[in-house]
Amino acid sequence: MADKSRPSTLNVYLYVPNIIGYIRIIMNCFAFAICFKDKYLFSVLYFISFACDALDGWFARKLNQVSTFGAVLDMVTDRISTACLLVILSQVYRPGFIFLLLLALDIASHWLQMYSSFLVGKTSHKDVEDSSSWLFRAYYANRKFMGYCCVSCEVLYIILFLLAKKQTENLTDVLVNAATQSWIYLTLLALILFGWTIKQSVNLIQIKTAADACILYDINKKQKD
Amino acid sequence: MVTDRISTACLLVILSQVYRPGFIFLLLLALDIASHWLQMYSSFLVGKTSHKDVEDSSSWLFRAYYANRKFMGYCCVSCEVLYIILFLLAKKQTENLTDVLVNAATQSWIYLTLLALILFGWTIKQSVNLIQIKTAADACILYDINKKQKD
Repeated sequence: MADKSRPSTLNVYLYVPNIIGYIRIIMNCFAFAICFKDKYLFSVLYFISFACDALDGWFARKLNQVSTFGAVLDMVTDRISTACLLVILSQVYRPGFIFLLLLALDIASHWLQMYSSFLVGKTSHKDVEDSSSWLFRAYYANRKFMGYCCVSCEVLYIILFLLAKKQTENLTDVLVNAATQSWIYLTLLALILFGWTIKQSVNLIQIKTAADACILYDINKKQKD
Repeated sequence: MVTDRISTACLLVILSQVYRPGFIFLLLLALDIASHWLQMYSSFLVGKTSHKDVEDSSSWLFRAYYANRKFMGYCCVSCEVLYIILFLLAKKQTENLTDVLVNAATQSWIYLTLLALILFGWTIKQSVNLIQIKTAADACILYDINKKQKD
């Protein structure tokens, strides 16, 4: 049997879940290109792309096509989609700076967590065993709760984008307007804002925990030498 | 690392607000984040300590870029300088990107030369970002293949 000098990577690039990943990216590119021309089409495309995120994981397990590349593709696509959504919100709302802060928080928390996970040797940033914060443990213990918080963030951002009618909107005005429309809207908004608050709080704790882990890594390395 | 990524990201955000088409700056933001994230991830899988240590890669541009730290520095600085200049040049609420660039280039020979130098460095950096994505993605796949072979 002949030895392959360089194994073929094309097979993995053509895995079904990875192809779904590429479709997600193309859909997002198109969505953000037209987001100001057609808000509703943008929202539908973004939502479909978000749904595909769950779909490609399911396909990967079903077809035995789980791959590290697929996991990274997923992670990077998530981060960039959320980032671009926060970018267009910062264009439409005043103060836009708050969305820059949320963008920074999202990137910083996920980046630090990925880095420190590698140093410690964990395979997924969703595997958290020892952490001093009760909120942290509660968040990661229940996948459904995690899902609710993550979805709340995306839903909040999409709703904010859809609610903006003028070229530049005041954020508090729009939120108060939406909340005072009816009891149903108030309840839904409260639920969404609660999930969003939990997610951003976890992001903040994530930064501290991951930074601590980086420092402990250095300390442990010195002790071994 | 994180501060660099977020600073560049925010700069691209404000450029996307000021210039039309703003979408091009979203693409540059995506390219910056994706290339650095994938490179960081694949470096960890392979076991390298810094993403600036590149030994075996098939692309001549890639090797040339990483071989010379001064050249790398020139390319990175060119990007930041280009973005800052674009931000400073924008006078109206929404500017047309090509108009502003052509205007700046045709002011004088000095401006033309400077702009050409900056754009050249920027082009190299973005090209390396693109190659980085492919190389890192390959590394992730090879990692899985090697893991299977060990079992």
